[in-house]
Amino acid sequence: MNNADQQFPVLRRSGAGVLEEILPLLPVNIRRLIICLDLSLKEKIEEIRIRQGKPLSLILSAGDILISREGRPARQVSEAYLVTQVDMEGLIHLLSGSSLYALEEELRTGFITLPGGHRAGITGKAVLEGGKVKTLKNLSCCNIRVSREVFGAASEVLPQIIDKKCSGIYHTLLVSPPRCGKTTILRDLIRQVSTGDPAYGIPGLTVGLVDERSEIAGCYRGIPQRDIGIRTDVLDGCPKAEGMMMLLRSMGPQVIATDEIGRREDADALEEVLNAGVKILTTAHGSSLADLAERPVLSNLIRTKIFERIIILGRSRGVGTIEDIIDGKSFRSLGVKK
Amino acid sequence: MIKLLGSAMVVAASGLGGIAVAGGYSRRPKELRSIRSALQMLETEISYGATHLQEALSLVAERCDKNVAYIFNRTAAELSARTGSTAAQAWEKSINGYYRESALKAQDLSILRNLGSSLGISDREDQIKHLRLAMEQIGNESFRAEEEAARNVKLWSYLGFLSGFLVVIVLY
Repeated sequence: MNNADQQFPVLRRSGAGVLEEILPLLPVNIRRLIICLDLSLKEKIEEIRIRQGKPLSLILSAGDILISREGRPARQVSEAYLVTQVDMEGLIHLLSGSSLYALEEELRTGFITLPGGHRAGITGKAVLEGGKVKTLKNLSCCNIRVSREVFGAASEVLPQIIDKKCSGIYHTLLVSPPRCGKTTILRDLIRQVSTGDPAYGIPGLTVGLVDERSEIAGCYRGIPQRDIGIRTDVLDGCPKAEGMMMLLRSMGPQVIATDEIGRREDADALEEVLNAGVKILTTAHGSSLADLAERPVLSNLIRTKIFERIIILGRSRGVGTIEDIIDGKSFRSLGVKK
Repeated sequence: MIKLLGSAMVVAASGLGGIAVAGGYSRRPKELRSIRSALQMLETEISYGATHLQEALSLVAERCDKNVAYIFNRTAAELSARTGSTAAQAWEKSINGYYRESALKAQDLSILRNLGSSLGISDREDQIKHLRLAMEQIGNESFRAEEEAARNVKLWSYLGFLSGFLVVIVLY
């Protein structure tokens, strides 16, 4: 691994450079418009939304904008560039590498993971077989989510979750509303925990990662596209509960990481993991402890004091702000540096 | 003496001309057969391996008859360049390039072109259907081309020499 990256946490793959990975996958017309945009805008792109017959729109950290036919933010809807059928067909060709037949499994889940770990959500007409979605056809809407890897995003959190007594980590739950950097912080935590950092007194731990939605490791054809540390085994696209059990049985992890728990079977699997003495690193949707208490599965997990550290994220001071760190046993805030 | 030499040259020239035309007739069924078997390989890659198109095309190019490898090689190269061209466009370019150098006829080209327009953009069953259809059409063309070749190869090779002799006799 690159030593310089570990000593000086830097923002990597975060500026407009990331777009270079996505641009070749866009049809020529749309690519040209996005290249024309100001650099300051390009840096902030979080999602590119392409809907057939509708204006081309970009989601930035501050909200969404439409793109005009000249490649500038459009002030009115009438100025916006309308996505044509040819664009849409070209997009599908490029996203799938002209191999839609090889992506039947991915289409069933509704998204394709792209090289670089970015994701394209796709909708169209569902083709059913025996009441279940077999594949999609007449694809008409696409949402490309730019995945940004922020090295050092978890540096603030890491010292709080290290258990000095057993040179391991605490059972940790990251709580955040959508699009507040939950996955980014989880990914960086996994990277740091798995690689280890003598400065924090943490040796590298074997991490088993169940990446149900291919968001954390961003696997492209099974190979992680994100840096998730040197001791991480990834189970890509596997249902969480089943995946946790598989990892537990086969890979002997010291830490099991996964994201967005919330279903009954997830909780059961977590209990199993706990009994095996493996540490848990996971996330949940929500904006506060009170929020979680309203959801039966999660409130149960919290009441039984499974998690030793609960970290609340928000965007009060930008994406990925750590709002609070709570001790899961006493429910007292451990305080955050403002 | 010069007359004799001249007549020999006339006969040789028209004879070779005839053989060249005959060669065209016998090349076409051979090419069609090669294309058909290459498409068969492509179908196997797509149906059993679910191999990505670019990879599948490269694999086929390696294994198929050298005279048609160009089509698959060039399409794969075009796709890997990620210039924004779709599989249909890449395929179109390659078959046009191939067509110029080949003995194929316009109807063969249009079968390949039809196949290209559906290449890679539908599910597996659909891809197989399109490939089978193209293979069957090419099979038919190849059958007809062979019949045609059987008739014409002899005809043209004789015709070349005989017309050469005729010219010589008339002029002598």
